[in-house]
Amino acid sequence: MPTKNNLIRHNCDHYEGHQYDHLQARKYGLEADICIVGAGAAGGVLAYELSKAGFKVVVIEAGPFWDPATDFASDELAMRRLGWNDTRLVTGKNPLTMGSNNSGRGVGGGTVHFTGVFYRFHESDFRVKTVDGVAEDWPITYADLEPYYSKIEKDIAVSGPKHFPWGPFHGPYPYPEREPISANAELFRKGCENLGVRSVVAPLAILSAPFDGRPPCINRGFCNQGCLPNAKFSTLIQHIPKAVWHGAEVLSDCMVTRVEVDKSNKVTGVTFVHDGKEHLQKAGIVILAGYCIETPRLLLHSACSRFPDGLANTSGMVGKALMTHSAHDVYCKFHDEVRIYKGTPVLAATQDFYETAPDRDFVRGYTLNSHGSRPLSLAANLVSKAGIWGQKLYDIMRDYNFYAQITLVGEVLPDENNAVTLSDEKDEYGMPRALITFGYGENDNRLIAHGVQKAQEILEAVGGEPAFVIPDTGHLMGACRMGNDAATSVVDGFCRSHDIPNLYICSAAVFVTSGGCNPTETVMAIAARTADHIIDEAGGNVF
Amino acid sequence: MAANRTRYPSYDVLKEKEHWDDHTRTIVLQRLGPFPAHRFLTGHEADLVVSIAGHIVYDDRKDILAYIVHHLDETLSTPVGEAERPLGTPERKTLLRQGLAALDRFCEGEYGSPFLAVDQHEQLAALAGLQLGKPQYLDDRKALPSKEFFKKLAAEIVSAYYSHPVVWSEIGYGGPAYPRGYVRVEKGLTDPWEAKRDADEE
Repeated sequence: MPTKNNLIRHNCDHYEGHQYDHLQARKYGLEADICIVGAGAAGGVLAYELSKAGFKVVVIEAGPFWDPATDFASDELAMRRLGWNDTRLVTGKNPLTMGSNNSGRGVGGGTVHFTGVFYRFHESDFRVKTVDGVAEDWPITYADLEPYYSKIEKDIAVSGPKHFPWGPFHGPYPYPEREPISANAELFRKGCENLGVRSVVAPLAILSAPFDGRPPCINRGFCNQGCLPNAKFSTLIQHIPKAVWHGAEVLSDCMVTRVEVDKSNKVTGVTFVHDGKEHLQKAGIVILAGYCIETPRLLLHSACSRFPDGLANTSGMVGKALMTHSAHDVYCKFHDEVRIYKGTPVLAATQDFYETAPDRDFVRGYTLNSHGSRPLSLAANLVSKAGIWGQKLYDIMRDYNFYAQITLVGEVLPDENNAVTLSDEKDEYGMPRALITFGYGENDNRLIAHGVQKAQEILEAVGGEPAFVIPDTGHLMGACRMGNDAATSVVDGFCRSHDIPNLYICSAAVFVTSGGCNPTETVMAIAARTADHIIDEAGGNVF
Repeated sequence: MAANRTRYPSYDVLKEKEHWDDHTRTIVLQRLGPFPAHRFLTGHEADLVVSIAGHIVYDDRKDILAYIVHHLDETLSTPVGEAERPLGTPERKTLLRQGLAALDRFCEGEYGSPFLAVDQHEQLAALAGLQLGKPQYLDDRKALPSKEFFKKLAAEIVSAYYSHPVVWSEIGYGGPAYPRGYVRVEKGLTDPWEAKRDADEE
C-alpha cells in the first residue's frame, strides 16, 4: 500500500547544488538559525528574506516539492491533490468544507492553486472595534503594512489597474492590468456600470507582461489547478528558489509533529516525521507558518509539563476565533454563451460594498469578484452544497456555457466559539486530528444576504436571469491572533509569541479580523514585516 | 435521453488531444478505460454504484458509469484523507460500505426487494430519502448518517462524471488548454477549435 507521501515521489532535501531523496546529507545538520514550518505564502517570503539576510534557514514542508512541468495538469480531478486533504473533523452550525478551498499542501502551499487575486486590506480593517464597535483592533495599522504591501507588489510584479478606487491605495500597480478580459468579466463590468457601481479589472499576481524569466498569462484558466506556464506567482516558483539560491535548505514531505521547548522556556527546534521515521531540526528561532488549522493543532499538541495547555497559549486563545470568508457563488443564466471556463478566473471586481454603510443592517462589508468556474467544481458544488442532482443537475450542466458567476468574499466577524481544538481521533503521525467548529453569526448572515442580492442585481442589469446560489466558504484567518495584550492574544504585532520569545507564528492565523477581500497579499506583507523585525533584532549580527 | 443531450452535437474535445501536454493527455485518456479490477468495492457494491450513479448524473451509458465506479474505487483505496468529516460520522470507506448495505436493507423493508431489484421510481425515492436525511439503518439498527452518505457518494460520482471527456464535449467545455491557452476570450468570440453550436440551434 503506498503512503500518501510516495504517491508523488520526489527528493526530500533541497539546497543550492544538491537534491537528495534521503535525509543523510542535510546542509545544516541539526543546527539552523531559523526553522520555518510550512512553505506557503508566508513561509516562502520569510525563507527568502531571512536567507537573503544571511541567516541559516531550514524550511520544513509536509507536502512534496512540486515540479509544475510534470506534476501539474489541465485537469480538475487530478489536481485536487494540491489541497490539504488530511481528514479534519468538522462540526458547528455551519461545518466548514476543507481542502483546496482553504488550504494548500506542498511547497508553495495555497499560492500554488489560488486565483492570484491580490488586494490590500483597507485602513478600517485594522480598527474594526474603533470604527464599528465589534471584534478587536489589530495591534498594527495599515500604515505599518503599507511599505510591505508596496514591496511585495513590486517583488512579484502585480498586474493591476492604473486607478484603484477603494481603500488608501489607488495604484498604479507595477505592471499594467490584464487584457483582454473574459466574457464573464465583461458582463460583470457592464452590469456594474448599468447600476452605477464602480468596478475594476482585478489586481492579480498573474503577469500581464514578462517578468523575472516568467511569461505573461495565456488565459488557460486553470489557476486553481496549478499554473503550467508559470505566469501566475507562487512561492514555489518565486520565493523558494531564490531562498535556496541564498542558502536556505528545504525539507519536503516532512511533517512537523512537535515544537520542542527547553528548561528556560525557549523553543529549541522541532520534531518531524519523514517516511514514518522521526527526525529533529534544532534552530535558534522557530517560525510556524502552517496556516490556521495546522498551527494551532501543532501548538496544542506540543503541550508539555511547562506548558500544559499547549505552547504560546497562556491567553487560552490558541485555536480560538477562527474565521473564513463567506464565498457564496451566484449564478445567472444568459441567452448567449458566456463560457466561464475561459481565461483567468477572476478578472473583474468591485469593492463598492466594502466599508460599513449606515443604510445596511450589518457592519463591515465584502468584495464581489467576477469568477470563472470549471465543470467539476460547479457540478460537485451543486450536488454537495446546493443538493441538486439527477435530471435537474443534468439540465443545468447541459447549459454550462450559458451561465455567468460572481463570487462573494464576505467579512466574517471573529467569534471565540469558532475554534480549532484537538479531537480524540489520531492521524497517521499519531497526532490528534483537528476538530473545527464553525458557525456564522447574525451579522455574517445579513452580510451574505446583501452580497448575494447585489451580485444578482449586477448580472440582471445586463440581461441575466438568477439561476442558483451555492453557499460556499473560502480562505481561513485567525486562530492565533495578534494583539498588544498577552492575556487576550497569542502573538504581538511582529508575530512573536507573547509567551516564548524565540517562537513566531506568521500566517493568516495571526489575523484579528478577516477583512472583506482575498487575504494573500496581507499574509505576505505581514511575513515581510516579520522578517524585517527578526533582521533588526539580530542587529546586523547574524547569530 | 440521448437525443438532445448536447447543444454541441458536432464537437469532440478528444479531437484536440494532440494539442494537450503529455501529462494531462495521459490522465484524461485513462478515463476511457479499460479499468483494472476493483480493489475496494465488491462486485455487488460496484453494481449498486453503477445504478446509483446513473440516477445522480442522469445518464445510463455503461462506459462512463464504469469510469465513475473505477474512480470511486481508487478514491477509497488510497491513503489520501477525505479533507473533512462531520464529527461522529464514520470514516469515508466505512460510511460508503455501510451506506450501500443500508440502502439495500431500506429497499427490502420499504419495497420488498433490494435496491437493484426495485423499479426506477422506487430507487429514486430511496435516494431522495437519503438526501433529505430520512433514516436508513445499519445491521445493528444504528441509524446511518444518511445525508452525509449521500453527499460523499454523490460528490465523488459527479466529480468523475464531469471529468469524462465525452461529457466535456457534450457540455461544450474546452477541456485541457496547455500549452495553447485561449486567444479569444471576450464575449461572443471563440477560438477556432472550441465547441460551436449548429446554426439552427436556438
